Amino acid sequence: LETKTPVEPAQPTAGMQSLKSARFLAVQHDAVNYPEGIRSPNPALNAGKNKARHTYDLAFLMQFKEVFREKPSTDWDLKLKETVGDSSDSAR
Amino acid sequence: TNAASDSDIRTVFHDAENFNVKHPLMNTWTLWFTKPPSGKGDNWNELLKEVISFDSVEEFWGIYNNITPTSDLALKSDYHLFKKGVRPEWEDAQNKHGGKWAFQFKDKKAINIDALWLHVMLAAIGENLEDDDDNEVMGVVVNVRRGFYRIGLWTRTVGKGKSSEQGKETLTKIGKRFKQALQLKENDVVEFSGHTDAAHAGSTRAKAKFVV
Repeated sequence: LETKTPVEPAQPTAGMQSLKSARFLAVQHDAVNYPEGIRSPNPALNAGKNKARHTYDLAFLMQFKEVFREKPSTDWDLKLKETVGDSSDSAR
Repeated sequence: TNAASDSDIRTVFHDAENFNVKHPLMNTWTLWFTKPPSGKGDNWNELLKEVISFDSVEEFWGIYNNITPTSDLALKSDYHLFKKGVRPEWEDAQNKHGGKWAFQFKDKKAINIDALWLHVMLAAIGENLEDDDDNEVMGVVVNVRRGFYRIGLWTRTVGKGKSSEQGKETLTKIGKRFKQALQLKENDVVEFSGHTDAAHAGSTRAKAKFVV
């Protein structure tokens, strides 16, 4: 049984660190100037809500797909192995 | 808000490595995974694993872009995306009186399960499946099986609590939005059944309570 796992003290990437330190946007109060070509969250969906309920439509959310690809943490691969596992594991 | 603070807002679209705001989700969500049984009498609790919880759009994509796609999972695997604090099992007290909308895709090769599951997850975290005060959506699930893929949406109730007409109306509206997220045709039938009905029916299928 192979139990060795490569030990490499991984450093968090800049993107990982940004994700950690970034503050939550106050969707109703922060006026964000998105770069040209980026759709903002459908303001109609979020306007006039008294509660802080915010919705994001599919088109808005899909824009992040190619933009943010960072692993959630430096130990993600290990964590994934322990939970989802290798798809080859279960084929036996 | 003023002009000075606006210019300090850097989203991931401005700089993916150095941003200072992230997009909050309405709820914190937990992703769970069911491992296929090994056939050695493993217990369900050991097969159901909590993978990660997240509360921003950015973090969702970091996870999605770095996790095994549904199409690569072994048979008998499930992904569950549930509101934090709810176990994706009908035994959880919060699911006890609930039910689910579900659709089986029987022609596995004819569909893009990764895109469909993604769209359903986005509808859930983007809060497009229910209205402000519905408080029905518990989570969504995809099952990988030999003969089909199935995508489900779990609700808190089976339409009880309020007047039954109103309850049915709320669940039907949610079912229609779910059907839309699944890109189904008008004549495809999505069925709702209560968890307890399904449990009592044993291995046979519970009778649908509602359809859309």
